[in-house]
Amino acid sequence: MLVVDNVHAGYGASEVLVGISLEVRKATVVALIGANGAGKTTTMRTISGNVKPTQGRVLLDGKPVQGLDASRIARLGLSHSPEGRKVFGPLSVEDNLLLGAYSRLPAFFGFRRQAERELAHVYQLFPRLRERRSQAAGTLSGGEQQMLAIGRALMANPKVMLLDEPSMGLAPVIVQEVFNTIRRLKEEGITLLLVEQFAKSALEVADYAYVIEHGRIALEGTPADLHKDERVLAAYLG
Amino acid sequence: MYALIVTQMVVSGVLMGLIYALIAYGFQLTYATSKSINFGQGELVMVSAFFSLTLLNVGVPYWLMVPGGMLFGALLGLVVERAGVRLALEQKSEGWILMTIILGLFAFSVAENIWGRDDRPFPTPISSNPIQIFGIHITPVEISVAIGVFALMGMIELFKRKTLLGKAFEAVSADRDAAELMGISATRTIMLSYGLSGVVAALAGILIAPITTVGPTMASALILKAFSVAVVAGLDSGFGVVVIGMTLGALESLTSFYLGSGWREAPGLILLILALAIRPMGVFGKASIRKV
Ligand SMILES: Nc1ncnc2c1ncn2[C@@H]1O[C@H](COP(=O)(O)OP(=O)(O)OP(=O)(O)O)[C@@H](O)[C@H]1O
Ligand SMILES: [Mg+2]
Repeated sequence: MLVVDNVHAGYGASEVLVGISLEVRKATVVALIGANGAGKTTTMRTISGNVKPTQGRVLLDGKPVQGLDASRIARLGLSHSPEGRKVFGPLSVEDNLLLGAYSRLPAFFGFRRQAERELAHVYQLFPRLRERRSQAAGTLSGGEQQMLAIGRALMANPKVMLLDEPSMGLAPVIVQEVFNTIRRLKEEGITLLLVEQFAKSALEVADYAYVIEHGRIALEGTPADLHKDERVLAAYLG
Repeated sequence: MYALIVTQMVVSGVLMGLIYALIAYGFQLTYATSKSINFGQGELVMVSAFFSLTLLNVGVPYWLMVPGGMLFGALLGLVVERAGVRLALEQKSEGWILMTIILGLFAFSVAENIWGRDDRPFPTPISSNPIQIFGIHITPVEISVAIGVFALMGMIELFKRKTLLGKAFEAVSADRDAAELMGISATRTIMLSYGLSGVVAALAGILIAPITTVGPTMASALILKAFSVAVVAGLDSGFGVVVIGMTLGALESLTSFYLGSGWREAPGLILLILALAIRPMGVFGKASIRKV
């Protein structure tokens, strides 16, 4: 469903990704783990088009999308819940969710009605968001903002979803809640690329995982494979 | 009697202030989406007014001229975005400052060549014979200024709050990269904001022209005041520009009444100096002045 093939990318003159290749098959959860600064977020941003690759290919559902504007790639069925959540602070919770489905809703009127099913789904996953639907997103707690960011990405019914560090800065209980949600989405058949600091929890939900080091894939395999690898155990699962 | 004269001055000042507010609101629209403004906005006001006058002269009825002039303003706004702003923003440079100033100067000389240097009256079917409301003389033309300003600003605010496209506009203002991830094209949203800003400027020109006449320099004083209003009110509150605009207009009337008309420009300039002294980051807000 999503194929990243030998992608190079960076910021200005500094190259951060030096040949990343990975694959996310339909209805699987793939984890991408690695140390701080290894290039996980850059990989995600390059896939979704916020960063332009200098080399390599990104295929979404078989179609090359590298080099397209982020908004085009989103309209082709990719949702990206970015690192740091990036909710639209001044807008209400519900407006944030509606914007998640922007590409397939009418631009002027009647959009709320056409988004009814997805809204119900997200509110069912996160009842807290329903309670706070008219509150400004910027005034939510960190955990609630993370739920909103995930919900907003789900609103588009994406073919592939990217989720970057959903547990960042959250209390352990909330982190558990986030992982429970990811498990539920997996049961619903989501296709997900997950970046996580909590490598252990990530490997528990993932079907397959990649380890990134200094902008290249150092290791890959099923979670069981990685658990057998001494280096991974020492560096990420210690 | 004396109180009545003062009230009279305040009322006409406030109406003038609404025009400052409307133009300042146009600055806010483009600043919100792109952190840039058109420094040639005064010329956009003036050229749109001249164009509207030409429409009237070739026999277009007033009520068709108004949307026609506004459409023309939208086109000019789009031209400014395309020719003066887009490339600079793509390269994350501040080149738009110089480019929009140059486009303004260019528009000024084009206008002088097409329409001449003289000020010309702007005919309107709306009467300028004062009517009395609570003893205050007010002309229907002045009332039309207030109605026009509030109607247009109200419509744009409704658009931003009630339509999905409007919410997308707000999303780009809040976080451009995140908005792109939702499938919202920031480039198109910025175009939209420049188009709307052009509409707003054109209407300002059409509304004020019957009172000030139309000429190449008709907007040079206006724009300075609108600028002051935008700086003082901040670049994100439509309500703020209305309040500050009306206050400035009233202050101007009162200074010219008490100190003589030569002092008319003083309050706007003092306000601008104070604002820049207290908020040195000025119109550009916190984020981008550091780079300038
Ligand atoms: N906007 C940027 N401009 C310049 N350099 C950047 C930018 N974003 C990231 N980098 C650099 O790219 C490298 C990889 O960063 P990236 O954010 O992809 O790492 P990460 O694996 O997501 O790390 P973390 O676990 O801390 O989120 C780092 O050296 C970082 O300093
Ligand atoms: Mg990261």
